[in-house]
Amino acid sequence: MDGTPTGSPNWPPNSPRAAEPDARAQAAGPAGAGRPGAAILRRGDLAGNVTLFGRRLRRRGLLVGPLEISDGLRAMTAVDLADRDLVRFSLRAVFCSHAEDLPVFDEEFARFWQGPPMEGAPAPQDDAAEGPAGPAGEAGEERGRDVAVAEWDDRGEADDEQEVPAYSPAEGRAHKDFSAFAADELQAITDLIIIIARLIATRLSRRTRAARRGSLVDLRRTMRRNLRYGGEVLDLVWRRRKIRKASLVLLCDVSGSMDIYSRFLVQFIYALQGALSHVESFLFSTSLSRVTDVLGHRDIREALRDASERVPDWSGGTKIGASLRQFNDAYGRLVDGRTIVVICSDGWDTGDLDILESAMRTLHARAGRVIWLNPLLGSPGYEPVTQGMSVALPYVDVFASAHNLSGLQALERYLHSPRGRSGRRSRPIEVWNGTMGTAARAAAAVARRPGDGP
Amino acid sequence: MGPGSRPPQAFGGIPEIMETLQQQGYIADRDVALSIHLSVVLHKPLLIEGAAGVGKTEIAKVMARAVATDLIRLQCYEGLDVHTALYEWNYQRQMLRIKLEETTGRPVEEKEHLIFSEAFMLKRPLLQAITADRSPVLLIDEVDRADEEFEAFLLEVLSDFQVSIPEIGTIRARHIPYVVLTSNRTRDLSDALRRRCLYLWIDYPTFEKELAIIHRKVPEINDRLARQIGAFMQLVRRVNLDKVPGIAETLDWSAALLALHRDHLDPGAVEETLGCLCKDQEDLTRVRARYLGPILERIDAIGQSGDGWNSDRIAQLAAQLPKGR
Repeated sequence: MDGTPTGSPNWPPNSPRAAEPDARAQAAGPAGAGRPGAAILRRGDLAGNVTLFGRRLRRRGLLVGPLEISDGLRAMTAVDLADRDLVRFSLRAVFCSHAEDLPVFDEEFARFWQGPPMEGAPAPQDDAAEGPAGPAGEAGEERGRDVAVAEWDDRGEADDEQEVPAYSPAEGRAHKDFSAFAADELQAITDLIIIIARLIATRLSRRTRAARRGSLVDLRRTMRRNLRYGGEVLDLVWRRRKIRKASLVLLCDVSGSMDIYSRFLVQFIYALQGALSHVESFLFSTSLSRVTDVLGHRDIREALRDASERVPDWSGGTKIGASLRQFNDAYGRLVDGRTIVVICSDGWDTGDLDILESAMRTLHARAGRVIWLNPLLGSPGYEPVTQGMSVALPYVDVFASAHNLSGLQALERYLHSPRGRSGRRSRPIEVWNGTMGTAARAAAAVARRPGDGP
Repeated sequence: MGPGSRPPQAFGGIPEIMETLQQQGYIADRDVALSIHLSVVLHKPLLIEGAAGVGKTEIAKVMARAVATDLIRLQCYEGLDVHTALYEWNYQRQMLRIKLEETTGRPVEEKEHLIFSEAFMLKRPLLQAITADRSPVLLIDEVDRADEEFEAFLLEVLSDFQVSIPEIGTIRARHIPYVVLTSNRTRDLSDALRRRCLYLWIDYPTFEKELAIIHRKVPEINDRLARQIGAFMQLVRRVNLDKVPGIAETLDWSAALLALHRDHLDPGAVEETLGCLCKDQEDLTRVRARYLGPILERIDAIGQSGDGWNSDRIAQLAAQLPKGR
């Protein structure tokens, strides 16, 4: 658990100059007060440093705001500051909010609270790195106060801007022009897709609402209404299950091998996004791009054009595993036990298969249901024997064809509800041209020729 | 700090907390003790995350014993709603009362007021916690299993510790409970809830810690077997399993081996009792076919070298175990 060296010469964070115990340190709680001399704290420095440290963490993506900073400072008054571990654990409890934050925190803590100033760091940060390191003069104290909590937010935002990676369209290797589509053709397909998308847009919740007719009696309302009959229950008030919008995450492969299908699938995504409120859309080839915002455009041509610009290597190679891992790392929070994840890909992965497997496992564990749309599944004689596909299949709940509209339509019933929490299927359901069978055939094919692939 | 603020030194310092935890049979790391301490001092709920079976729920139980207060537990599940978590009216009693009141000729308003009073209310965990006579420990267990709507409601309760009940009015906490939330991470919690809480991540124990736990909870066990069990658990957690065994499994297994009068691990003993560890058919087969031999070999190797019973050595050995599924 503890990867950072302890007993650094730069610890404790109070400077030798501030030898007089001040009232603040006296109030530092039983741990601090119990050991005179050990926990003398110069508030100006410490406050400034905790603030700067919090901002650094925020830039690394932790949920740290003024409230957390203020809690961090309060925590500092409650522990023995001479004990480096206690300070680390307290700040960690306050500043971290995900398990993923912990390694980042430990790294930053080790760097900030004892290391040399970071190269290229902004000026106040240099002061901060010095602050815990050694004697700070009056000026140092002033500077410490400079970065008071009140100012924290402004500065934080300014720094954040620099963190946004610049996107250069020139990096794209092969852009596709989507607007080269016949307008009426596009419209017809889109209309159909919207109908399908609406069909799959709703599902039943376990929550209920009051209703004229339903399956459950609303006892509370029934009592209230029947009060006027002196306790005889004459009118029943019912509850019925609420309709809940499904939440979908769509991941679509737009690599070269998917070329003839990807335009069609991207439209499907566009239409789904229009019909549902909780949809997140991503396109990938060798890396992943989030396109939820651009597909939100009213005009489909504009949306498709922008989407094609967003993806740096449209029609390039495929690294499904790396892309899915990127998704898990950066957007894993979007997926929970109710989310249905739809992956549209032919499974031709040129990347590392171990990465694909672990990414699929993570995704499957988090998501309510994983649906894999494979356009090739529709073609006669196809067997999912690409290495990528065979590695991914154990983590797929529904394996369906997506080469035409009827294939998408057949998908509807599987988008309604996630599998039960413990429901781990050993074999996916296979949906093929609107009919359904087990994937026994596919699994057998995988078993026969496990090493076959690109 | 609002109503019913509690004495900030409820526990004393961190060493005292650790001692109390230990007396209560909980072997805590310093960060656990510190998180409990901060949660009390800063008046913030403590969110504990970690894999299943690492003793998250146990912390709340031990905490309640340590401060000598009540533990009120709210077990979350999908579809959990406000009525189940907060309060429900006692309909049978209400109806009975209405019948009894039939002949009294009281005005309807008065009758209504009567049957919608606190006496006719069934208090569910959240309301119990808010109306308790002294600060209880409120354990909101597996909050990730409740849905977003409930989470939003919870957030509201946790921020001001008051609830409004249409028929009665606002009920405000007299004593703010110590709140502990646990999550198995089956669903990601909202950032708003996370920010409301202090965060504590509990990992599987190190070899040394697990050994201490075995000795404490299964005191009759001999040192050799305890070490072997500890090492086996460390190794088996590093292979590819769907359900990684936690501390509860370790203790079950230790007790089982003890009941069978085993004083060391051998293939036969492990085979017989493997069901205590692996609670998934596929895991069971996998461990049996693939990992059992290699793990036991390595444990024997440590035993013979005589000086290798520590986390580092075990980690080295774990790296040599077969990979993949």
